[in-house]
Amino acid sequence: MRPQPFDEPRLFVARAQELPLSGQALVELMRAVLARGVPFRFCARGWSMAPFIRDGDVITVSPFRHAQPGAGEVVAFVRPGAGKLVVHRVVARRGTASFIQGDSAPDHMDGIIPPENLLGRVTRIERNGHDVWLGLGPERYLIAWLSRTRLLIPLRAWLASWAKPWFRR
Amino acid sequence: MTIRMDGIYAPSDDVVAREIEGELIIVPLVAGIGDMEDELYALNESGKAIWDRLDGERDLGGVVAALAQDYDAAPSEIGHDVLGLVEELVRRRMLVEAPAV
Repeated sequence: MRPQPFDEPRLFVARAQELPLSGQALVELMRAVLARGVPFRFCARGWSMAPFIRDGDVITVSPFRHAQPGAGEVVAFVRPGAGKLVVHRVVARRGTASFIQGDSAPDHMDGIIPPENLLGRVTRIERNGHDVWLGLGPERYLIAWLSRTRLLIPLRAWLASWAKPWFRR
Repeated sequence: MTIRMDGIYAPSDDVVAREIEGELIIVPLVAGIGDMEDELYALNESGKAIWDRLDGERDLGGVVAALAQDYDAAPSEIGHDVLGLVEELVRRRMLVEAPAV
């Protein structure tokens, strides 16, 4: 077989949005970066964690190191079977098993995610260039409990309806 | 900065490189973070062929000889291309010169 020609080597500089990176490619890059013990920063897509993480927020995922995630922590994981990258909240822990669910998706429980599918914990959320801390501090325990008992969305709706007249003034 | 044919080069610890869907993607670890919101780098097929052979063990002369064996091009032509790319990668701190063994 005749060897192929050697074209001029080129280095391209690009933004992530300009590269045709699939979700699986993002998982692969995230795994590789986290395996080096450093955090991975990227733009989140979707609304399943609203209002704490919104579409377009930039999130930082850090390696677990020794401690596995506790209830209330927001984690990045690979959904078993689909291989899709998901960022949702641990709502309960039983032994090494993590029960995971999106804050805005109570009817779509991710279920038990095996430890090998967990990639890292969300340690920073940025929105429009500013840090968003709500949802990652001590309140995360309450959010996890509300999410597990399916009270989070009704409570959010009630708070929104209660706050609306005040914002109209 | 002089890139020598007897120099040995290897990927820097400050980058993560992965072949993804046929393309080599290089993520620089800037300030200790793999930042997808910053600039990323990609190499074309020939660039990837050079990168794959920069293993920190053989010198650039060995890399050129290996490429000349695998591709339909003269070693002098390949050597020119290898020096050019390695110079750019070293300048961008993606490659480091490895100590000779």
